[in-house]
Amino acid sequence: MTEILRVEQVTKTYGKRGEKQYQALKGINFTVNSGEYVAIMGASGSGKTTLLNILSTLDKPTSGHVFINHEDNSTLNANQLADFRSKQIGFIFQDFNLLENLTNRENIALPLSLQGISTKRIDPLIDRIAGRLGIEQILAKYPAEVSGGQKQRVAAARALVHEPAILLADEPTGALDSKSARELLDTMEDLNQNDGITTLMVTHDPFAASFASRILFIKDGKIGKQMLKNELSRQEFYHLLIDHLDTDE
Amino acid sequence: MIWKLSLTGIKNRFKDYTVLFSGLVVASMIFYMFLTIAINPAFIKNDIQTSTSYVQFTFGFGIVLLVIISMIYLVYANSFLLSMRKHDYGMYMMLGAKSSKIGLLIFLETLITGILATSAGIILGFGLTTVVAKLLIDKLGLTVTHFSPILLNAVLWTLIFFTLMFLFGALKNARKLVHTPVINLLKDEQKPAETSLKTGLRSVEAIAGLVLLAIGYYTLSLPAAMILIIIPVALVTIVAGSYFTFNSFFSALIGFLLKRKDFSYRGIRVFTLGQLKFRIHDYTKILTIISLLFALALGAITVGLNFSTLKDQATASTYYDTTIVSSSSAVQEAKRQLHIKHEQTYHYKENKKYLYFKRAEFSANPVKNNEFYVKNDTPAYKTINLKIADLAKQGTTANNALNSMLPANHHKPIRLVSQQKWASLKGDKQFVTLLTVKNFQQDYPILLKIEKQQLEESKNYANVYQSSKAGAYQLVMNFSSGFEFMGFFLGFAFLTMLASTLMFKILTGAASDKIRYQMLFEMGTRMSVLRNSIKNEIGILFLLPGILGVVDVLFGLQMFRVFLPAPYHNLWIPFTIFIILYILYYLITVKLYEKIVLKSDSVLNKGE
Repeated sequence: MTEILRVEQVTKTYGKRGEKQYQALKGINFTVNSGEYVAIMGASGSGKTTLLNILSTLDKPTSGHVFINHEDNSTLNANQLADFRSKQIGFIFQDFNLLENLTNRENIALPLSLQGISTKRIDPLIDRIAGRLGIEQILAKYPAEVSGGQKQRVAAARALVHEPAILLADEPTGALDSKSARELLDTMEDLNQNDGITTLMVTHDPFAASFASRILFIKDGKIGKQMLKNELSRQEFYHLLIDHLDTDE
Repeated sequence: MIWKLSLTGIKNRFKDYTVLFSGLVVASMIFYMFLTIAINPAFIKNDIQTSTSYVQFTFGFGIVLLVIISMIYLVYANSFLLSMRKHDYGMYMMLGAKSSKIGLLIFLETLITGILATSAGIILGFGLTTVVAKLLIDKLGLTVTHFSPILLNAVLWTLIFFTLMFLFGALKNARKLVHTPVINLLKDEQKPAETSLKTGLRSVEAIAGLVLLAIGYYTLSLPAAMILIIIPVALVTIVAGSYFTFNSFFSALIGFLLKRKDFSYRGIRVFTLGQLKFRIHDYTKILTIISLLFALALGAITVGLNFSTLKDQATASTYYDTTIVSSSSAVQEAKRQLHIKHEQTYHYKENKKYLYFKRAEFSANPVKNNEFYVKNDTPAYKTINLKIADLAKQGTTANNALNSMLPANHHKPIRLVSQQKWASLKGDKQFVTLLTVKNFQQDYPILLKIEKQQLEESKNYANVYQSSKAGAYQLVMNFSSGFEFMGFFLGFAFLTMLASTLMFKILTGAASDKIRYQMLFEMGTRMSVLRNSIKNEIGILFLLPGILGVVDVLFGLQMFRVFLPAPYHNLWIPFTIFIILYILYYLITVKLYEKIVLKSDSVLNKGE
């Protein structure tokens, strides 16, 4: 298995030197291999969002390194970081982050046109991923004209259309009703298992986390335990997870 | 308690309030500035000495336009105020505040904001009017006597108009707030994008827009006597035509570009086009106003500058800079101060019947004259030598020209004689000296002094004075200064209003754009790409009304044929000045906008 993501001794401290400082991350280490589906779980204030911002190169660690596809983010300048994000990372956010002034098709086209993919190839690529996610019928509509679950599928299509090295999902089901949430999680699992898409999801929801093959627990800025699904079914993994959370409290 | 909350709400949104307030201040200031000219009878009567009814009509046109512009502007400002406060007031209502009380609050808030802004606008109007007037009068060397920056009538009408507008606005806001369900007040931001017009309807609108504009432009070219028809028809057709054109034509164009995927699927063009599509729809009214303001500002400056060319024409129609017939010491002393380029003197003797000139003096130095003709629609003059033989023939151009250089009591048949004959003739010895100077503008005060001194010495000089260059120059200057002043003054006023309107509208949309740019950045768009997108987007919002505004001016100048012999003469000068100002203003808006949407306390700039 090839390694896609390596996080080494990452710390993040807020506040200037000499003033009152707050350490959000206290030395995080982990790796994600190609084709893995990893969830990072933690309560609010545990450092989840800070970690995700650093992984997605939107924020820089105070110390430590993040390698994606063996490339060290900290050596890149602003333009290289932007290019890196557009090529290597696909994002799904809790609140979809779709541009409401573009149609769904145009939203999905953006990562491709940003990379300068030839205009003739763009529509076929969109149609393929839309077919995969079952959103062909709503491509001509605007985000405001479709449901929350459909929006998140469009966001997933946008995140995956350029075949990034890793899909980063930040509470992707947070704004969805339980039926849509379930559908999205099934789709993400399917994409991971059948298309081999490496996925890293940050969530506080045990149900969502139970779809992953490995769960890392983050608490007070440190990765504590990790749980492996192994041969367990999703339900069994979910119950195990609930038990773990109960005993951990 | 509610009052306190309401005030805190204002404090929290201080920045937005500043944008709103300053926009309103500028609107009332410009309105006031315009009125100081438009309803100042003393100024119109004394500084603009021309057919008054025509001028009054032009101003009537201006006032109606300005009222329309201000009304649309105020409607925008009002809905901005409401949208700013909706969420707060919705929350108070959710917590149990009575809707009648909330209605009263928004009513008073709108009205008080409006009246405060109007008062501030008028006071600033005093200052700005003084400064602009002084600058223009000094810089352009104008003679404007009946212009006063503080005009009670203008103060009153500005107050009345704006108070009424805000009263309506306040009532509308209160009604809207009371009748909107609380849930909509709280969640209004999430409403879906408006669905656009059907293609068929849009093409009808596009054609209607262009036809209306064509009718408007055609009307402007009608003879000036039809002013009663020209102004109302042009007003309605051009305003409505611009609106329809923006609403249909340009959004159709953007839709077309969006469909051309080999064009739109490059970089973030699709986003820029999406923003514009969003905007064009939302901005139709504002773009219409901007195109009108652009036309008014550019038109005013062009006409103002064109009036200054009347002065050049006054000097171009006469070849000699002065005619000297007096040998008094005062005149001769003044003559010594001139920077003379060429001087020629003709001697003559006057008896009871005739004036006898020396033929030889004319042969040595022919009298020159500037002849008027029209070249490519612009007036021009060519210098010719008067025919010596004609000088003595009554009724010829040469004879008339020579006569106009002689004092009135000397108007007798002219005879040209040889040197010997002249010496033998009896009569009063007289002379006429014709001068050209190196720089007329520079010597103009001395030249005028010479002319006036000669007039003082003899009333018979009056006819020479009338056709003298300095005299004509002074006359035209009196006439054109008023117009020139007005042109530049109004041009400046409209430009300021244009600036505030477009900036106001663009900046009010910046808050929601900020999120979009943040998303694009997170997706991996380079900062430089984002900056370019902003430049293109705002550039098009500036360009579209600019183009329509230029077209408006090109047709609108026809209206001024009454006082201007060639309204299109040297058009590039005002256009260049104006376009440079417009570009500068565009760059400032881009910078301000970038500061709002790209600067953020979040992660956006940390990568740089």
